[in-house]
Amino acid sequence: MEDSRTLVALLFVFAPLSLVSIGGGPAVFAEMQHEAVVVHGWVTQRQFGDLFAISRAAPGPGALLATLIGWQAAGWLGAVVVSLAFFLPSSIVVYVAAHFWNRLRGSAWHSTVEDGFVPIAAGLVLAGAFAILQSGGTDLLGWGTAFCVAACRLWRPNFHPLIVLGLGAALFAFGRVIV
Amino acid sequence: MKTSAVEATEPRPPRRAGFAELFLLFSKIGLSSFGGGVSAWMHTALVERRRWLDETEFSSALALARIMPGVNIVNLAVLIGHRLVGFSGAVAAVAGLLVGPSLIVIAAAILYRQFAGVMILDAVLAGTAASAAGLLIGTGVKSGGRIVRRGLESNGRTAQGVGTIVILVATFALVGVLRFPTAATVLCLTPCSLALAWFAGRKTPTGRHYDGG
Repeated sequence: MEDSRTLVALLFVFAPLSLVSIGGGPAVFAEMQHEAVVVHGWVTQRQFGDLFAISRAAPGPGALLATLIGWQAAGWLGAVVVSLAFFLPSSIVVYVAAHFWNRLRGSAWHSTVEDGFVPIAAGLVLAGAFAILQSGGTDLLGWGTAFCVAACRLWRPNFHPLIVLGLGAALFAFGRVIV
Repeated sequence: MKTSAVEATEPRPPRRAGFAELFLLFSKIGLSSFGGGVSAWMHTALVERRRWLDETEFSSALALARIMPGVNIVNLAVLIGHRLVGFSGAVAAVAGLLVGPSLIVIAAAILYRQFAGVMILDAVLAGTAASAAGLLIGTGVKSGGRIVRRGLESNGRTAQGVGTIVILVATFALVGVLRFPTAATVLCLTPCSLALAWFAGRKTPTGRHYDGG
């Protein structure tokens, strides 16, 4: 009984998020963190940050964070329910949209839609980053690491993200140990 | 994607992709994409190596995948799978991209459960999370900065540049800081942003093309 209620709650949190994730999975990390940590208590602040780290360093999309939250909340069934709830609705939308997209090709609407979503997507992604940095009581060291990594990414976009990720993590761990 | 302009270009050899082949190919792409950069892998595998898609098809699909809700590379898998095989192709591509990595990520989470509390592991995970958040900041600043700069640099479009900044900052502040619901924020700000892009586009109706990202 308790389990099925959790599964329904997972469905109702992640399916709507799927439909508003403009800019990709990270666009809804802020709300995902709020729902999973504050509202439902499926994971702790710390766990959210750790699962985010795991999903980002592992192969596949970083949005597998959603699957991990489902797994943490309700085991394998939770992982399956969240995966379907988070990946299916947006996939159906883009499947349908492809038809209209090709009809719009070359019209002014095409570039309007392309440009119009950019600031929303960028704002949402930055909000996601902010939510993650707030979670788990990130200290000055965490913020410093994040800004160094961001600067490195902007300054040298061709560095492989995994290398930047590894260097940032090593820097942070070193700082944590000696302080 | 059947009605695309690509049909007007020269015919290409018939594609031989089937459900199983597409599932395996996207599994391989998903599993080898440590730390991101999946769309680059897809480009190499599908455009450069197999020539199942041409550049225009790929960049058009990528542009759509980025603006629609949903994880960008999952959207891209839907579009490419559909283009190559049809509905079953979209299913095969998405399943291939997600199933293998999901199992790996859960296996990693099981290990994490075992070893949580070990100090050095905690430090490395917290450091990875902070660094990954930094990567997100880089992404947001880069894509936001590009469109703001384009608005500010071209004559007579300063209003668009300023408006774009306002929308970007408002989205960030409402969702990230004030924790407004994402759906309500997106529904309110998207029409404003589209109107802004529409009027800016009217002033310079020619010479725009997608830069491929």
